[in-house]
Amino acid sequence: MADDAGKQNPPSLDEFSKRLDAVRGDKTNAESSRAGSGQAMGRAFRVASELLAAMIVGVLLGLGADKFLGISPFGLLAGALVGFAAGVMNVARAMKNMHGDSSEGG
Amino acid sequence: MIDLYAAGPMEQFEIVKLIPLSLGSLDISFTNSALWMVIGVSVATAFFVFAARGRALIPGPLQSVAEIMYEFVADMVRGAIGSEGMKFFPYVFSLFIFILMSNLLGLFPTIPGAPHGLHTFTPTSHIIVTFTLAMLTISIVIVYGFYKNGLGFLKLFVPSGVPLWLLPLIVLIEFVSFLSRPLSLAIRLFANMLAGHIILKVFAGFIISLLGAGVAFGWISIFPFLGTIAITLLELLVAFLQAYVFAILTCIYLNDAVHAGHH
Repeated sequence: MADDAGKQNPPSLDEFSKRLDAVRGDKTNAESSRAGSGQAMGRAFRVASELLAAMIVGVLLGLGADKFLGISPFGLLAGALVGFAAGVMNVARAMKNMHGDSSEGG
Repeated sequence: MIDLYAAGPMEQFEIVKLIPLSLGSLDISFTNSALWMVIGVSVATAFFVFAARGRALIPGPLQSVAEIMYEFVADMVRGAIGSEGMKFFPYVFSLFIFILMSNLLGLFPTIPGAPHGLHTFTPTSHIIVTFTLAMLTISIVIVYGFYKNGLGFLKLFVPSGVPLWLLPLIVLIEFVSFLSRPLSLAIRLFANMLAGHIILKVFAGFIISLLGAGVAFGWISIFPFLGTIAITLLELLVAFLQAYVFAILTCIYLNDAVHAGHH
């Protein structure tokens, strides 16, 4: 039926862009679902490294404080706690970013 | 070179000096790592120069690939920083292409019998390389952040709406979180490339061991062979994905420097 209308008079630009948008929407949806598993692994790696890196930094700062202030082992204890807190905050922030990305359409 | 299959899974990461150089007591030898960086940059440069030579209005296949890569990174920068972030586009694009080329070229199999110095090598599988790239990014963030916002850049460590008595602790945690950024960037890229190459090598090693075990067990080697194919495909994805993640996180961190205080 749409073909009949198309033969009689060329489709208007509005109609054409609507159809183009529909096709484009389909394509981006298909692409995002296909890339899903790979992206999930990338996200997992990202979250893990965020947590790990913050804990390493915290522990190193704590050990540094121990060495230069002579307060062993409390610097290490405090550093590990602060590092863990920073790691959790990193993870929370990363997750927020990811959700922001996906809701924007990517 | 005869003993091709005796190589352990870690041997592929060995640094070999190709041209010994030294600057005073500093060792600045040209190594296989440096060689593969040069190869990566040369391939990328040759590709873009060759692809863009036609400057056609309606691009040919090669020019299309180059334009898609350009658009991909440009959209990423615009999406994360906004159009004022486009002054960082050359940096992010170079970073993305360099990491992508290092990751992808390292996946090529070595020509059997090639001297050790010419074995295929992935520069990004060494943490010092990825850490240098990460420190470059963070240095740009810090320098540009202070240049653009002055001391207002320090607002990055002070989230709004925190009660005063909690502030010292929060600032400390934010500070540690900031320091962890280059480390997490470096660890992620390096760990992905290292793990992928080790798994690939171990699985490929299974094939040889099983084939060597005689006819009774030889046929089982089809399974690690299929596994090796699957992991190679996965590694292609990881190579691209990690370059993308590194570039997008660079954009996110640069965004902090451009828009400090809009946290």
